[in-house]
Amino acid sequence: MLADIGLMALVTGFLLAVYATAVSAWGGWRNEWRWVESARSATLLAVPFLTISVVVVTYSLYTMDFSLAYVADVSSQAMSPFLRLTALWGGQSGSVLFWAWLMNGFVAAVLWRKWERDHDLMPYFITVAMLTTAFFIGIVVFITNPFARLWHVPGTTELLTAVFQPAGAVAYVARDGSGLNPLLRHFGMIGHPPTTYLGFTGFVIPYAFAISALLSGRSRDDEWIRTSRRWTLVAWIFLSIGLILGGRWAYDVLGWGGFWAWDPVENAMLMPWLTGTAFLHSVMMTEKRGMLKVWSVSLIILTYSLSLFGTFITRTGVISSVHSFSKTALGPVFFVFIGLTFVGSLWLLLRRLDTLKSEHELESFLSRESAFVLQNVLFLAITFVVFLGTVFPLLSELVTGTKITVGPPYFQKATGPLFAVLVLLMGLAPLFAWRKQAAGRLGRAALLPLVGSVLWAAVWGYAHRLHPASYFALWLVAFVVLLIIFEFVKGMQARMKRGENPAAALYHLMGRNRRRYGGCIIHLGVVMIGLGFIGDAYFQQETQMALAQGESLTLGEYTLRFDNLESYPGSDGREVLEATTSLFKNGEFVQTLKPRRDFFVVQRQPMTIPAVYPTPAQDVYVLLVAWEEIGFGASTFRMYLNPLISWTWAGGFVLILGTLVAAWPERQHQAKRSYVLKPERVQPGLLGGD
Amino acid sequence: MADIVSEPLIDGETVAEKESPRRFSLGTVISFGLILGFLALLGWGLVQVNNGQVDSGMAPDFTITSFDGETIALSKLRGQVVIINFWASWCPPCREEAAYLEATWRKYQDRGVVFIGVDYVDTEKEALAYLEEFDITYFNGPDVGTRISHDYRIDGVPETYYVAKNGELRGVKIGPLAPPELDEKIEELLAEQYP
Repeated sequence: MLADIGLMALVTGFLLAVYATAVSAWGGWRNEWRWVESARSATLLAVPFLTISVVVVTYSLYTMDFSLAYVADVSSQAMSPFLRLTALWGGQSGSVLFWAWLMNGFVAAVLWRKWERDHDLMPYFITVAMLTTAFFIGIVVFITNPFARLWHVPGTTELLTAVFQPAGAVAYVARDGSGLNPLLRHFGMIGHPPTTYLGFTGFVIPYAFAISALLSGRSRDDEWIRTSRRWTLVAWIFLSIGLILGGRWAYDVLGWGGFWAWDPVENAMLMPWLTGTAFLHSVMMTEKRGMLKVWSVSLIILTYSLSLFGTFITRTGVISSVHSFSKTALGPVFFVFIGLTFVGSLWLLLRRLDTLKSEHELESFLSRESAFVLQNVLFLAITFVVFLGTVFPLLSELVTGTKITVGPPYFQKATGPLFAVLVLLMGLAPLFAWRKQAAGRLGRAALLPLVGSVLWAAVWGYAHRLHPASYFALWLVAFVVLLIIFEFVKGMQARMKRGENPAAALYHLMGRNRRRYGGCIIHLGVVMIGLGFIGDAYFQQETQMALAQGESLTLGEYTLRFDNLESYPGSDGREVLEATTSLFKNGEFVQTLKPRRDFFVVQRQPMTIPAVYPTPAQDVYVLLVAWEEIGFGASTFRMYLNPLISWTWAGGFVLILGTLVAAWPERQHQAKRSYVLKPERVQPGLLGGD
Repeated sequence: MADIVSEPLIDGETVAEKESPRRFSLGTVISFGLILGFLALLGWGLVQVNNGQVDSGMAPDFTITSFDGETIALSKLRGQVVIINFWASWCPPCREEAAYLEATWRKYQDRGVVFIGVDYVDTEKEALAYLEEFDITYFNGPDVGTRISHDYRIDGVPETYYVAKNGELRGVKIGPLAPPELDEKIEELLAEQYP
């Protein structure tokens, strides 16, 4: 009954999306605005209908209505209410519905807010965005419907899944569901999947604007670029949060001591992030100087295409990965869709290249403009390297007949140097002025940070004598951090001379030019995240040892003593085997650590849960890898020292903070001013910001 | 809104006029070539994934070395019925069929039937413990580089392939075997004539 309401709401939402696509195209073509108005209403109206079906699915999962195939698949009595709710995005049908709902929500939000401002583009925008949304809702309705029920044909052992009653079958209600994949039974389920989906679906907005601008031939106007930048920032921050939460989840659950493994699906998420970041920078050039228009438009299209590509490889299992969903009929339909999107966008872009002429030429190698160009090239190069590594198994299978998977070493070696240059640029570029930067001035600004960081790296290197590349990496990070701090200090000093106290000076400084200083904070966050990668690449230490009760093992300054092992039934249908260990630092007791091995009885799947003692310098990460079945006498532990990893998580927060500073909607009069302000000649140092 | 309705929204005419003359520059050709090539690659990958198991025609030949260091080639086993079982120590359903497989092997080993256990993506220590646990005595070896699994396009483990005396595939069982299906299949294959 309830499921029927959900189904009807879903179908209504689908029809509304199809209607919106059709009439906005018709209205745009025939110049009849009332049809476009109608398409807008349909788009807004689809939101409550899709919301109803999302709520019904969630409610069915929560109340365990096992007559629905999807509920029987991802929910179960052993699961906690929290997990049953998050199971909405724990399987194929629910996650595609969730996806379609978010996408519809984004489009509706644009129509709600930007209706007047980007008036002329609206027919195209609604057509492109709602066509995409209708496609995803269509997948939910026709291919992977969460309201499909279980049916049983008497006399057979097979169960059927269908929306409507198949001939000769009777309704079947499973006694219990199989429940979520054990790897998904984690607190991270509340954060990583939804933010990732928000990021992926959010990119449809800038994409639809770009395509609209190309279609209408209005890509010469810059207003749509401004709107796209805002929405890209929204999608980008969600994708960033999704990436960080995903890394944290892997670190807490997968038990290999790291947080980033260059798995195809991680790469699928990283690639649109990289191109999206490149876009957020190139768009500044487009806004301020009318340059890099082709880049900006191409980058939006590329970002959106890469997020579709990522979804495609995850959903179809074309490239195998830990995230692969079960095979469905989704593949061919999805393939046709991304094929049309890729080819159509490229065709349109090439067709309209003449409308994307740059308004200015590069004037100097040492300028903000050239720094942006270099930055874009680097981001694209990294994207290409990651892309190549990701599709390599497919390529090698085609050419040699054998699937060869390239591992983390390839990605690390190939992207490491590129990332290093990018980090350097990240520190220096904000110092560059538009048009032309005087070399001497730049040298003076960078001198103190340079001296400070070199000294620090030399002292550190002398004390530790590890891998030479590590000195360079740490020097680089110190240099960039000092550059950013000096940037703030200089600005604050100027204000403090006028009698402001430091806090007020900082507040007003950032308030005056939020995009610039927000950007600096984001850069600081990225450098902090980079610290975790440097620690992982050069300084990770590990050891493994079998210990009897009371024995201990030592790694670096830390000693781990095995005290006890006990077994008890845990939540969500698992048997927990938990070791109690004591951690000592230089002989002093620090903390009790309890690494675990959870065994999911129904799925017969074990899961290793590490115990972590985090400090700013390093994490002590302990795994229980083996034990004696009888008597719990001796157990084997693996212990890692993961230096600097806490910085990565802290960097994530800094990044979010910076984005909030940069993206917080400006007050009306400021917004107006920044729109009018598009100076031909900018005095270095005077308006060097942003 | 009335004033807006009268206003032309999209100048379809102008759009058509602005189109540049049809030329295919090198850049255009390369861009489309790359995109189409990439799509072809994805499409091919999709077909591969959805192809499913090889279950008829000549069984793909392979050479496999057992955990004891003994090597056999499928093509050298003509005249014998061959049962190829893909398994792994980490696979719970494999455990369900392990005892039945071993018992069937013991029953038929003197009648010209060969069992080959192909250990898919596993670690040797765990694999040997598994073989010991179920007292498995038929030929077993690791699928180095997952080449055999790839040739047979397995989807998962366990999967069991039946090879007739003339080297042709006579079907595949996906999921664990249960008595008496393996016995029946072997009897059927043994009854085939081979010169």
